Amino acid sequence: MNRTDDELLAIRCQLGEPAAFDDLIARWHEPLWRYLRKLTGDDDTAAESIQDVWLKVLRAIPKLRDAARLRAWMFSIARRVVMDRLREKYATPPSVSADDVDLEDVPQELEDELEVMREELERLPVIDREALVLFYLKELTLLEMTEVLGVPVGTVKSRLFRARKTLRTQLERKGVNR
Amino acid sequence: MNVSVADMQKLIAGELSLRSRVAYTALLLVALGVAVVVGSLLLTEPSLPQRTEVAFAVIIAIALSWVAYASWVLTRRQVLFAGHRIVAGRMAVAFSALFVAGCLAVRMMAAAGLGALMLAIAIGILITARQRFRALMERRRALEAM
Repeated sequence: MNRTDDELLAIRCQLGEPAAFDDLIARWHEPLWRYLRKLTGDDDTAAESIQDVWLKVLRAIPKLRDAARLRAWMFSIARRVVMDRLREKYATPPSVSADDVDLEDVPQELEDELEVMREELERLPVIDREALVLFYLKELTLLEMTEVLGVPVGTVKSRLFRARKTLRTQLERKGVNR
Repeated sequence: MNVSVADMQKLIAGELSLRSRVAYTALLLVALGVAVVVGSLLLTEPSLPQRTEVAFAVIIAIALSWVAYASWVLTRRQVLFAGHRIVAGRMAVAFSALFVAGCLAVRMMAAAGLGALMLAIAIGILITARQRFRALMERRRALEAM
């Protein structure tokens, strides 16, 4: 499904078509769940958050001005929900987990290196980790990331640059040079 | 613990009831009508007993509370989608027109004046709702044709 399909889906929802919400959830529930799981680091908080996210999406979608921005808009809602929940619960920054990197179809010889990468990703500061997760795992564009993170594109680029550099340094220390 | 697609579809389906949206729209319109009628009586009747004035003020406060509650529900909880806005707009126009006709029939001119204002606002809401619906439908057709 491409971005035109997403825009069409958003418009059908804005029109109030019940089946469109089923399609929207079928399409985006899993990506949002995995994103929440990575941000929160535990299933329970992610499960509580995902319900809030869908209710907020339902209630705010009539006001979404540019339906083509659906994906970035939903991830920004998800991020805000998690930040609010974690702020309330623990008053500490969220922990982004890289446990969910999918290892299916990965050649056996890469698994050790991926395991090291997961560990090193976990050790990055949360802001850098989040940037890498959104860009590489969620495949958001820089423009979409500015909307989700609420920072200018220059800041997104500098976070990505810093995160890549730090991760590369950490990986080289562990003997991973890909 | 995982939350399935079906769980979320069920949750959202429960939030999409047209009936409850129509009910809240009707509540809003009726409460607004009560506030306007009683308010115009309070302002225009010259020699009401003080107890009646207090009673009218209480009724207006209650009616306005219902207006505020229904408005909050319709903008924050049971939000209106483009199709629902047309239904709500039509309800508002029909209710306001009936309201004005009723006020004119019993010669409550102040209330009729406020009713006419409500009718004008309702027509504006309906026109905006139709324009929005049409714009979304045009974009939908364009995307489906791609």
